[in-house]
Amino acid sequence: MAPSLIRSPVQLPPAEALAISQQAPAILQSAPSAVSSSILSKEKSELWIEYENLILSCLRTGDERAAHQCLDRLVTRFGEDNERVLALRGLIKEAEAQNNGELEKVLKEYEEILSKNDSNIPIMKRRIALLRSMGRVSDAASALVQLLDFSPTDLEAWSELSDLYFSQGLYPQAIYAMEEVLVLAPNAWNVHARLGELQYMAATASGAGNGAYQKQMAEALKRFSRSIELCDDYLRGYYGLKLVTKRILKDSAKPTKQTDDGDFSLPDTRTIERLNELATAKLAEIIRHSSANDRGWRGYNAAEVAAARELLSEDASSDIKR
Amino acid sequence: MAQVPVQTIHRDPQLFYWILFPITIVMILTGILRHYATVLMASAPKKLDQKTTREQRSLLHGMQVRSSFHALSKRSFNSRRDALITAYESGAYLKDPERKGQPPANPMTDPSSMEGMMGMMKNQMAMIIPNTLIMSWINAFFSGYVIMKLPFPLTIKFKSMLQAGVATKDMDPRWMSSISWYFLCIFGLQSVFNFILGNDNAASQMAQQMGQMGPQTAQMFGPGVDPNKQFLAEAENIAVVDHYSVLDGVEDRLLEGIRV
Repeated sequence: MAPSLIRSPVQLPPAEALAISQQAPAILQSAPSAVSSSILSKEKSELWIEYENLILSCLRTGDERAAHQCLDRLVTRFGEDNERVLALRGLIKEAEAQNNGELEKVLKEYEEILSKNDSNIPIMKRRIALLRSMGRVSDAASALVQLLDFSPTDLEAWSELSDLYFSQGLYPQAIYAMEEVLVLAPNAWNVHARLGELQYMAATASGAGNGAYQKQMAEALKRFSRSIELCDDYLRGYYGLKLVTKRILKDSAKPTKQTDDGDFSLPDTRTIERLNELATAKLAEIIRHSSANDRGWRGYNAAEVAAARELLSEDASSDIKR
Repeated sequence: MAQVPVQTIHRDPQLFYWILFPITIVMILTGILRHYATVLMASAPKKLDQKTTREQRSLLHGMQVRSSFHALSKRSFNSRRDALITAYESGAYLKDPERKGQPPANPMTDPSSMEGMMGMMKNQMAMIIPNTLIMSWINAFFSGYVIMKLPFPLTIKFKSMLQAGVATKDMDPRWMSSISWYFLCIFGLQSVFNFILGNDNAASQMAQQMGQMGPQTAQMFGPGVDPNKQFLAEAENIAVVDHYSVLDGVEDRLLEGIRV
C-alpha cells in the first residue's frame, strides 16, 4: 500500500519516505503550477497539505530541488509572508546548512522574524527545534515554556516539552507536561501509554522511597490498562503492562496500604497476576498473528514486535530457571 | 360524485421562456456575484497579539482541564486546579491587569471591534441591495402574471405564498405567480450554489442567517465581553468539580472486558 501524502510523513520509516520523495516529480508534473481562481477550477486544500508533506519527505531524502519547487508553489499561492511558508522556508534552509555557522545564521533570521511578530507560532516552533538540534537544550526548554505560557492549549508543544525534559532525566517535569497533553486529548491511548512509560521509568530510575515508588508503579499500571481499554490489541500498552506487573511481582514487597486518598495504590497480588497473564497471552497472540502476517493484524512496528518477543522469551527462560 | 373540473388557463408558452428562465438565471448570477463580492470584501482575519492570545487560550485551557479532569490523577488535578484558580482570580492572564474590574470599553469606540462590525455591515449590504433591486425589477416588469403550474396538488393555505400579486380568489393554488417564483428561488437555490461554488459559499443569504444564529463560540471573545468576569466564572466552575479518575478500577474493568 502506498503511503498517503495527506498524512504527515514524520513517522514514516525511511523506505516509505524515499518512495514518497521519488514520486515528487510525477506529482509536481500532474498538478498545475499555478492555481487559477476561476469558477471552474476546484482548489482543494489537500493539495497544499500534500506539498507540505512532500517538502518534508524530500528534505529527508536529500532531494532539495523538488523541495524548492514545492515551496515555490506554496509561495505563489499563499505569499511570501505566510507563517507556515516562512517556517517551511526556514526548514529548507536548516536542511541545506552545511555547518554550525550557517545554522546560527538561520537562527538569527528566526529571531528577526520573531522580533517583528512575536506571535508567529510556526517560526517559534522552528526556532525551538533548531535550538534543540544544535544541542542548546536549556535554551530550547525555556523558549518552549515561554511559548506555552501564552498558548497553553498547544498539544504538540507540550509533548515536545515532555520529551525534552525526559531526555534530560527530569521525570516529574516530563510527567507534568505529558499530563497536559492528556488534558487536551483525554482519550489518546498512545499518550496514556507514554505517560505509563514515563511513570515506570521515573519509578525504576530514581532512588525513590518505597511510598513514591509504589505510587508511581500503581499509576503506570493503571495508565497502561487504560490505554489498552481505549485501544484493543495495543502492543505498547500490553508490553508496558507486562513489564510493570512483572516488576511488581518480582519485588513482592508488601504493598503498604495507603489510606490517604488522592494517590493510587496497587491492586492486590491476585489481580496483578491475572493482569500479567493477560498481557503475556495477548502479547503472544499479537506476535503470532503478526509474524504470520494475518489479515487484520498487519501494521505493527516490526521493532516493537521483536522487542515483545524478546520480553516473552526472557520471561520464559527465567521461569525455567525457577 | 361530481368531478371537480380541472382548471385550465391558456398561457402563452412564451411566458415560460421570457419570465421563468430570466428570473432563475438572474437569481443564480446574483448569487455568484454576491459570493465573489463577499470574497473580495472580506478583510483578512486580524492578527492577535501575544497578550490577547494568552488571555483567550488560558481560558480555553481552564475549560479543557475542567472537561477532561477524569484523565488526571487526583493529585495532578488538584495542583492544576489550585494554580488555575489562583491565577484566574488574581487576573494573571488578563491582557491588561490594571484595567481589571473596570467596565468593558464601549465596543463602539474600540477600533478593533469596529472592524468586526464593518464586516457584518458589508455582509448585510451585500444581501440587502441585490435583493431590493431584483424585487423591484420583477415587480416592475412581471407582476400580475401566472407563469406556471406546479406538477403536484397543494392545499389552499399555499395560495398567499404562491400567488402573491395575483388577486384571484378561486384559482387553484397550483398556479404560481412570478413574485412567488422569485421567493422560491431565494430559498431553493442553495444546492445549486453548492454545486457551482463549493460548500462554503457566501451566495445564499439563508445560509448566512443560519450562521448568525448558530455558533456561540465566536461570541465568546467578542467585543464587549469582560474577560475578567469570564475568568472568575471559570474559576468557580473549576472549583466545584467533583474529581474522579478513569483510572479508578481500570484493571478490574480490563480483566472483565478482555478475554483472550
